[in-house]
Amino acid sequence: MTSITTAAAVESPLVPVNTTGWRGGLGNLVRKELGQWWATRLWWVQTLIWVVLLNGVATVIMLEGAGMPAEELVTEAVQTFLQMGAFAIGIGVVLTIQGAVVGEKELGTAAWVMSKPVSRASFVLAKLIANSVGFLATALVIPSLIFVVQAQVLLPVSLDYGQFALGVGIVALSVLFYVVLTIGLGCMFKGRGPVSGLGIGLVLVGQFFKGMLPLPLVMATPWLLGDVAASYALASPPDFNRPIPIIVTAAAAVALVYLGIWRFHREEF
Amino acid sequence: MRTKVLQNQSDPVVPATSLQDSVIRTVGLTKTFGSVAALHGIDLTVPRNSIVGFLGPNGAGKTTAIKLLLGLSRPTAGRATLFGMDSVQDSLAIRSRVGYLAQSPRFYTHMTARETLEFTARFFYQGPAAAIRARIDETLELVGLEDKADRPTRGFSGGERQRLGIAQAQINYPDLLILDEPAAALDPVGRRDVLDVMERLRAYTTIFYSTHILDDVERVSDYVAILDHGRMVASSPTAELLDGDSTTYELTIRGDEQATLRALRTHPWVSDITTAPQNGSIAMTVSVTDEQAAESDLLRSVIATDDIVVTAFGRRHFNLEDVFLQLVKEHGE
Repeated sequence: MTSITTAAAVESPLVPVNTTGWRGGLGNLVRKELGQWWATRLWWVQTLIWVVLLNGVATVIMLEGAGMPAEELVTEAVQTFLQMGAFAIGIGVVLTIQGAVVGEKELGTAAWVMSKPVSRASFVLAKLIANSVGFLATALVIPSLIFVVQAQVLLPVSLDYGQFALGVGIVALSVLFYVVLTIGLGCMFKGRGPVSGLGIGLVLVGQFFKGMLPLPLVMATPWLLGDVAASYALASPPDFNRPIPIIVTAAAAVALVYLGIWRFHREEF
Repeated sequence: MRTKVLQNQSDPVVPATSLQDSVIRTVGLTKTFGSVAALHGIDLTVPRNSIVGFLGPNGAGKTTAIKLLLGLSRPTAGRATLFGMDSVQDSLAIRSRVGYLAQSPRFYTHMTARETLEFTARFFYQGPAAAIRARIDETLELVGLEDKADRPTRGFSGGERQRLGIAQAQINYPDLLILDEPAAALDPVGRRDVLDVMERLRAYTTIFYSTHILDDVERVSDYVAILDHGRMVASSPTAELLDGDSTTYELTIRGDEQATLRALRTHPWVSDITTAPQNGSIAMTVSVTDEQAAESDLLRSVIATDDIVVTAFGRRHFNLEDVFLQLVKEHGE
């Protein structure tokens, strides 16, 4: 160790940050969280997983169904892509970011960050923003763009790209919901078990039991978003009111954000 | 040892006249976890530009108190103010003026030391980038991590993490540095370096640090606050705490022990005498009730005794270990 130059603080050219209140530290934290996606191998590992899974299955369907009627093949490919996306990405989200908050609480990095001029809301929001961007880009946007190319090459009729984009948007809402759910659970619990258990449990219960549960109950969950997305993408309205799952899921996501921040405010390090 | 240093819980570290210039002030600060009380209404005042050693055995509540000051935890009762601001209501504003080193500092392992410091600096400064880079280089040099600046922190040893912790804690030129066991994970050279840094920073900042290394406290602290089982058992300027007890004297003699004892016992203000052989001499500890009389007559009466040579005489001086152990023992009883 050598000299101390703290006296330089007096004449320092450094410009202090002027963000205060609930946004304190938000920009810096978002940059850090995005860095964990884009400055590490996480982004390409995630991209590889989802392209192999979603586009791989779509390719198989498109090639295997070469003898099927054109409309049927398109329906099969689009439905599989979007419904599988809504289901599998949900599980992927929970598995990948189950430790985003809990891990930091366990390791002590959350306490370290919270000893800086950072609001608790910023800590939670930064994780929501960066993980939403990361998953939407690597698990949904890139595979969807590849799907469009695949459809152009392998399907006998062209897709309605506007409708397909609408369907992808609905799946995006599902992805956002599971990001919010996982981060919110991380704020509420101290261990990874409840976070991953409840998160994955919710996805799996929806996937395997939604057909056995009363429709009004199922409509008040994100479980139907894959079906809603496919119906929008194929312009084939289902036998239920499509906006309801969208509105309920969006409202639940907003409520979970508030709940997560509220709980994190009460966290003691 | 007398209990002169053992003050009432309401006694602050500094006199009331200095309160207006205090950086930290706690009043009845209490923290309980369920039915377990970690802090029992501690009162503490830390003056500006001082180094205050926060001393206590493991589990005494030092880290809990520090977390309350930083707003990382909420008090069950009482309150703490830093720079006159409330630790709960104004936590964000307080943290913008504080540097903190945790007991076992943890950082994002994918970041290098330089990236960690840049991440930290960006909470305080928006730019310019060149000035931030310069500040980071300066800080890395300060803690001797220049050659490891671009290594991910996952490979850092405990000592290197501690140095990085000190670097990040003072990157914002804090008005107050709160260090939780800053030298605990360091080797003797690292410890000496940390103490040097603290002494140099004294002119620019206030340092409040917890430790159980008594030598360090004795070396650099202006004030000492001793916590035990969540209670403040002593708080005083270090010099005063270690200064001689004017009611206890130590003298070493060669010669007739009994004659010396007889001479001392003629004084009504001598309340207790203990003796012990020491390398062919006799070490005596004499407790008195009248400080002025003792100051004036104690040595004189011993020297006047026939066949006695006094080889050492003075007020009893303590080291911090004596004080600490005695206080903790008395408190435990």
